Amino acid sequence: MDLAFTQEQEQFRNDLRQWLKQNLDRPFLEEIRDPANDEDKLFEIRRRFQVKLNDAGYLGMDWPAEWGGRGATAVEKAIFQEEIFRADVPPIPNLLGVTLLAPALIHHGSEAQRRRFIPNILNCEEVWCQGFSEPGAGSDLAGLRTRAEPDGEDFRIYGQKVWTTFGPWADWIFVLARTDADDRHGGISFFLLPLDAEGIEVRGLRQITGESEFGEVFFDGALAKREHLVGALGEGWRIAMTVLSYERGSTSLAEPARNDRFLADLARGISERGTAQRADVREKLAWLLVENEVMRGNGYRTLAGLASGRSPGPEASIEKLLWSELAQRQSDAALELLGPQAHLRADSAHARPTMDWSREYLWSRAGTIYSGSSEIQRNIIAKRVLNLPTR
Amino acid sequence: MQFELDEDRALLKQSTRELLDKEAPLEESRRIMEDSDLGFSKTLYAQLAELGYLGLTLTEAEGGAEVGCIGLVAVLEEMGRAAFPGPYLDLVLASEALRACDCDLAREWLGRIVAGDAIAVIARRDTLQADDAAPASAVFDGKQVAGSKLFVPFGSHADALIVTTRQGLVLVPRPGTGWNATPLETLDHAQRFVEIQLALPGTRLADAEQAQRALARVDRVAALGGAALALGLMERSLEMATQYTLEREAFGVPIATFQVLQHRQAEMFLQTEASRAAVYRAAWAVDSNEPNAALLVAAAKAYAGRAARFVCGASIQLHGGVGFTWEYDPHIFLKRTKTLEEFYGTTHQQLENALSAAGIA
Repeated sequence: MDLAFTQEQEQFRNDLRQWLKQNLDRPFLEEIRDPANDEDKLFEIRRRFQVKLNDAGYLGMDWPAEWGGRGATAVEKAIFQEEIFRADVPPIPNLLGVTLLAPALIHHGSEAQRRRFIPNILNCEEVWCQGFSEPGAGSDLAGLRTRAEPDGEDFRIYGQKVWTTFGPWADWIFVLARTDADDRHGGISFFLLPLDAEGIEVRGLRQITGESEFGEVFFDGALAKREHLVGALGEGWRIAMTVLSYERGSTSLAEPARNDRFLADLARGISERGTAQRADVREKLAWLLVENEVMRGNGYRTLAGLASGRSPGPEASIEKLLWSELAQRQSDAALELLGPQAHLRADSAHARPTMDWSREYLWSRAGTIYSGSSEIQRNIIAKRVLNLPTR
Repeated sequence: MQFELDEDRALLKQSTRELLDKEAPLEESRRIMEDSDLGFSKTLYAQLAELGYLGLTLTEAEGGAEVGCIGLVAVLEEMGRAAFPGPYLDLVLASEALRACDCDLAREWLGRIVAGDAIAVIARRDTLQADDAAPASAVFDGKQVAGSKLFVPFGSHADALIVTTRQGLVLVPRPGTGWNATPLETLDHAQRFVEIQLALPGTRLADAEQAQRALARVDRVAALGGAALALGLMERSLEMATQYTLEREAFGVPIATFQVLQHRQAEMFLQTEASRAAVYRAAWAVDSNEPNAALLVAAAKAYAGRAARFVCGASIQLHGGVGFTWEYDPHIFLKRTKTLEEFYGTTHQQLENALSAAGIA
């Protein structure tokens, strides 16, 4: 048993910290955190930062060298995420293109598709969104009903996608659509479509935070060209499932690092309020600290598994449950312990300058729903680990 | 990066399981808990000593196996699984106290414990109100110890007590007439606590300052060890509960098919596995002198303590009515977790330790 990083990994971290120090200069950070930013402005800032990261070789680190990879391991990717979260940089705007679509193309796409799309994913010329969930197919993704009808060599897409993250800013969408109504998993195919095509309409969906980071996408006969079918017909489900597994380990150290920042702010706020000696306050704060450390331990375990070449099975469900449920308890505690100031929205008078707990509180409700709800994660543990029977 | 145990420790863990499966099946352990005055099997403890189990964390020079805290928690996890009765962890803690005392007498008694020739335990609590962190009130005048100690684990049959006094740690050998001891029966009938009245000759092992250092180490190993035992208790409780829900039928189907029970078991699994990650990471941090070891030990103990309470309690719930009977085993596990939580570093103390280790005053 050894949970220490290797010298190479420490070196990687030091280089990245240096790079972040140089590239996250004060004006840039102030620009990002300016409460007056609207969502378009913020998106543009994030786009610029992605280009910088790409130029420095920090995107697609584990891809083949041909596509800019540098042979990075899962541990280095996790260190990258950890440092990004520690530095409080907002996620790159083409997150779905970089983390999901590009690996899908590398492993399942044609050479022509790779050449056409990967460079523009990396330099953020084309922003991607993901068309998986539907109003009638969320946790039960394979129940999706959006269909692709043959039209000569090509296809016409009909149906509706929802919870489409970055939909309002995206240029392209990758879509799971049904090409065989009778084959639940084998009747799903993976298509790429430009969002400005005829027969596609994108609408923003207002979230409980007031933002519209995700949207709905309506398809009414939009053209999906044959050359934009990824893999073979009917391979969509398999591609989607393997692609979703590429990001294993990405939250392992990142979520605890984010919480380190949150907890530091919480402790500071408590001390400013003069309640740091109250027993109930101490107990709440200490439990958050403890749970975050326990979660980090679980993250190390996941990474150690990845480092020895094991793909995490149900540990991924544990990790998802741990971070998403802790995030809710943490922000809930913050609103209570920091009092009325923590309720103020970032652009309000007297708002806490360091941290928008009100947004965090609302945003944390999403974590237990997306990427497999807490209920689905517990089903996975019950069925695949404990082998409990289905009725 | 490697989470798995190395070959030696994996082998140690495996052989511990085999030994306990064979020599300490739950049925036999329950008989000892319920019927024996001693509360453990002397023969089996002699065997453990012979196999080197009483010197796991000690160096070779001290007669130990040098497998560190990682090796210790691997063994304790197995002992938790087996609900293995007796003063094993208490003997480890006495050893940790003795090795921190720089004198021949301490070395002599350390040698005896490791060899299985003697039982020595720490006698620490002076009042019902005091927790482990409270300063001692017993007095040592250079010859005699005066005071009374509560909740001395397996103290009736101890060959010596390591007594905390205002003047430091004092070794008090058992007088020829035996201890003036009163049993303290707690909710955990596997435990053997006694109250001991002391007006007896002793020899000082460590002055007050040294004692503080020794007890800090004892507290750390107690918390880590308690957490590791709790981990084993949880593991076995979940296994028993899962087995029961697969066998028990209601409404014409195994109750394991009900999602509400499945989700309870999934949560039990989650908290057990999160505890495992925390316990082993903390052990690794202590062995490798990581700067955050104090925080990680506190986190492991606080979390595993709470988790064990939940998991072992949920096991009773999943067993339904029979879970509340003396005959079935789940209650043994819940009872052990409560002892570990209160007497081997309270949750409150761990939370305070975590705050101070994290620099939050």
